[in-house]
Amino acid sequence: MDRGGSLLDTIVAQATPSGFGAVALIRLSGSRAVEIAGLLMHEDAGAMAGWADRTSRLRSLYRPGSGSGEPVDHALVTVFRAPGSYTGEDVVEISTHGGHTIPGSVVAACVALGARQARAGEFTQRAYLNGKIDLTQAEAVADLVAARSSQGRAVALHQLERGLGERIATLRGEIIGLSALLVQHIDFPEEDDAPTPLETVAAQARKVGRDIDRLLATAPSGELLREGAVTVLAGRPNCGKSSLFNALLGSERAIVTDEPGTTRDAIEAVVEVDGFPFRLVDTAGLRGDAGRVERLGIEVARRYLAGADVVLYCREAGRPPGRAETDFLASLTSPVVVVRTKWDLATEGDTGDDHAGRGGGSALPGTRGETPTDAEVPVSVRSGSGLEALKEVLRDLAFQGVVENRAEVPVVTSRRQADLLKVARDEVEGFGEALAGGIPPEVASAHLKAAESALEEILGVISTDDVLDRVFRDFCIGK
Amino acid sequence: MRLRYDVIVVGGGHAGTEAAAAAARMGAKTVLITPDLARIAQMSCNPAIGGLAKGTVAREVGALGGVMPQATDASRIHFRMLNQSKGPAVWGPRAQCDRALYPIAVRRILDGLENLDLFQEMVTGLHIDGGVRGVETRGGVTFEGEAVVVTAGTFLRGRIHVGGAAAQGAGRAGEGPSIDLAEALEARGLEVARFKTGTPPRIDGRTVDYSRCERQDGDDQPFRFAFYTREPLLKQMPCWITWSGTALKDIVTRNLARSALYGGEISGQGPRYCPSIEDKVVRFPDAARHQVFLEPEGLDTTELYVNGLSTSLPPAVQLEFLRSIPGLEGAMITRPGYAIEYDYFPPHQLNHALEVRSMPGLYFAGQINGTTGYEEAAGQGLVAGANAALAVLGGDRFIVERDQGYIGVLIDDLVTKGVDEPYRLFTSRAEFRLLLRQDNGPSRLGTLARAVGLLTSGQELALEERLREESRAMVWFRDYTLSPEAANPVLDAAGSEPVKHPKRARELLRRPRVDARALLMAAGGEAPDFDPDVLATVEIDAKYEGYVRREAERARRLREQANFAIPEDAPFSTFATLSSEARQKLTRIRPTSLAQAGRIPGVSPADLQNLVMEVRRMHGLPASRGVGAARG
Repeated sequence: MDRGGSLLDTIVAQATPSGFGAVALIRLSGSRAVEIAGLLMHEDAGAMAGWADRTSRLRSLYRPGSGSGEPVDHALVTVFRAPGSYTGEDVVEISTHGGHTIPGSVVAACVALGARQARAGEFTQRAYLNGKIDLTQAEAVADLVAARSSQGRAVALHQLERGLGERIATLRGEIIGLSALLVQHIDFPEEDDAPTPLETVAAQARKVGRDIDRLLATAPSGELLREGAVTVLAGRPNCGKSSLFNALLGSERAIVTDEPGTTRDAIEAVVEVDGFPFRLVDTAGLRGDAGRVERLGIEVARRYLAGADVVLYCREAGRPPGRAETDFLASLTSPVVVVRTKWDLATEGDTGDDHAGRGGGSALPGTRGETPTDAEVPVSVRSGSGLEALKEVLRDLAFQGVVENRAEVPVVTSRRQADLLKVARDEVEGFGEALAGGIPPEVASAHLKAAESALEEILGVISTDDVLDRVFRDFCIGK
Repeated sequence: MRLRYDVIVVGGGHAGTEAAAAAARMGAKTVLITPDLARIAQMSCNPAIGGLAKGTVAREVGALGGVMPQATDASRIHFRMLNQSKGPAVWGPRAQCDRALYPIAVRRILDGLENLDLFQEMVTGLHIDGGVRGVETRGGVTFEGEAVVVTAGTFLRGRIHVGGAAAQGAGRAGEGPSIDLAEALEARGLEVARFKTGTPPRIDGRTVDYSRCERQDGDDQPFRFAFYTREPLLKQMPCWITWSGTALKDIVTRNLARSALYGGEISGQGPRYCPSIEDKVVRFPDAARHQVFLEPEGLDTTELYVNGLSTSLPPAVQLEFLRSIPGLEGAMITRPGYAIEYDYFPPHQLNHALEVRSMPGLYFAGQINGTTGYEEAAGQGLVAGANAALAVLGGDRFIVERDQGYIGVLIDDLVTKGVDEPYRLFTSRAEFRLLLRQDNGPSRLGTLARAVGLLTSGQELALEERLREESRAMVWFRDYTLSPEAANPVLDAAGSEPVKHPKRARELLRRPRVDARALLMAAGGEAPDFDPDVLATVEIDAKYEGYVRREAERARRLREQANFAIPEDAPFSTFATLSSEARQKLTRIRPTSLAQAGRIPGVSPADLQNLVMEVRRMHGLPASRGVGAARG
């Protein structure tokens, strides 16, 4: 193998977020990485050649052309030579002091010395191209970077550690094993070992099908963790949706997105609740847009309703449900949480009733003879009471499955993976059905080949003579 | 002496004879040069043609007008259709041949070709001046010609090993190696590597106690390999089966150090599917017993080929282990087994016409390309000979595609993937197993052969008759209606539900286990008779229609990819979006189509997508317009 990617230019980038932290990490990758690092440190090629792999040294870094004047920084420098590095190329990692100025100067110096500023994801791309990681791992890196919650990050991290790739590779191995049993039937009918009975092969195929199904069952969780649970706010004008939206946002680290195509319909924000990601969607602030106001008088980002994981329906405390509301709620297919907003107004001047709202986290007193039903969550945005209970309800509704499936990680995290897994599952099932329907094994085996191809596509690898390898390994073949 | 020919074939084995015959049939003035004309088309290994995939190849050679099936029919003394308990898509015809009669039959066919001369001499060198100009022989005769097919088998620097004795240079037991030619080719800068293979001992059948062996007779139904000719059926002989047990295992284990294979004298890689008895004992120590086939060597000899006991142990040990086997207690060896090591030229150096890429006009076929097997050699010989003739006479290259024949699979595997052990065909190497069957050679390849001029006029007539019979049979099954009275006994025998109303024959044939011939018989006197091949074709077409269509669809997609051409001079090493492994492999193999690139191990689907992009960029086309890079 050549020194992976020696044809590619050398790239550089700051690996840690800009502006944060006491230390910044700058990474160089490519055939000139070691040379450029040497120039930066005023070390000659001989000294760099003697620099042991994977060892760190404290060095002064200089601007190119500045002679041996004032160094830019003192930094810890580590060399990883190809192929034993993240990208599979020569990599140098430089830990400088943090802040805005120093890391920027070091990157600029590397560029001046011949490196190129890396594009987003380019280090990972190189790792994939050099065979250091498979496609599921590359996807995991992308997920990790974009993860919207700590749970999402945990899944991505597991996948990066080859959780999913290994599971799929195992499944592929099992399918190849099935093909090998058939090859023994077809190509070697006169051998010492009698071929495995077809019933046994069919039973093994059913087991593989179930294994794929289990993995597929994690796909909705994976999508939910990656994208966040779509949580749509609905309610009559002035029922407190905007306040609730802001309250949920304010108490958690949140990012208000500005994705094209969504802002015209609704405001969307991602909020992390107990480590789980939610995408809050509201029509608040768009009241001027007549199209958004339903004839029924209920405001809702209607085009999100179909895809909603949860609907938060807001109704002010003290106001009984109207006919239109009841009809609207009955028409929904997603789980609904009725939030009794402005509960503080309702309770003013009234204390004593000890009724607990749903979730039990924070009890709010009922008033004016009104008690929230079990399906309702009373919330006071002003005092903050009820918010914790609401979050618990939200988390349970949207992520119960994920929590229960915890044992089933790795989780399928992309549509691409899920689609291909479905193909593989259908083909494995088709194989079993074909055998049961009297289709001979040599014909039915087409299904196994198709299943194998689908799994290979998930991994981004290709088999060659794996089936024959298996036959020769497992059976004493040949005269 | 100087002689001039269009096509010069070096070597007279299974590759050489097919190459010479193909070139001659196409009208090229052809000479076949071999060191010993009495040993043309020898069966160096077991006296059998065919088997799974290999039987289909033998028949493909026939569909293309070749020699092997006709010679097999003329010398067969035992025939079995393997896998008959399975669907007709994976039937494998295999014949035991009379080892003496097979070469005589080949010689008779070659002598019937008007454009072909035979010449006995060892070729020692090549004349190359810009391109190939001819060959030089040991006796100083010069053959001039612009197309040379080298089919040197195991003779290139061949060395025979029998345990306990010093290795000796030999191309086959009793025949000298070809050293000068090997050196001449290597001096031209070709990469050389070494393989090994082995043979078992042969014994005198008069010393076998057959009462302790299991008799295996051939099929009752006579079968012919050739599509276009008929040969008389000789007397048929049985094979015998016995089993080696723990006694043999002990003897082999005790003497392992004396084996040339295990004593470290042999370095080349041997085939996993044809293990020596030493390999079997070492690699599968738990196997209680191994099958031993005793195959008749011919009608006029008592010799038997002991298949399953390939070895390079000393002759005394061979005798000892043989005598531990039931039925062979008093066996006498007539010829000890041996291992042979030989040069081959890693076949990634060839293009799909089997022409050496760096030396236009020079073609390689057979074991010299790292393959084993008479059938694999014959298939390559035919393609190399046809292309040599086309190069001289003018015309496009003759390529069998992967969806057209096992010959196509074989050559594409060789050229695209290379070999790391002696290459043998298996049905599992083909992605279009349902299309590549032993029964349908004429429609797959016959028409192709006719178009390129590979068939004699007699063969063309036979092909046309066969194709007409196929369509008559298709029409009969499509249109003929069987009454419930006629159909139900057939359905009952197949364990299938009876019918209440008349049904078309093809509808009934779609059901599992319902046999085409049984339906014909049920139709009584009204039904015509059809060749067994033709019936198999009709039956597969009816029973597995969906699967066959799906395969044909995959084949079509692959063709689409094959149409995406990659320039011969594509600078793969500079395609930065490809993985380093893919760049390296593509540079070495130099695929000329996307389909071919997709079959190279180490080239991933993502690499293929990017390859499309890079090639488009090379042409100054927008990189994004997609050619589906999914694998066929």
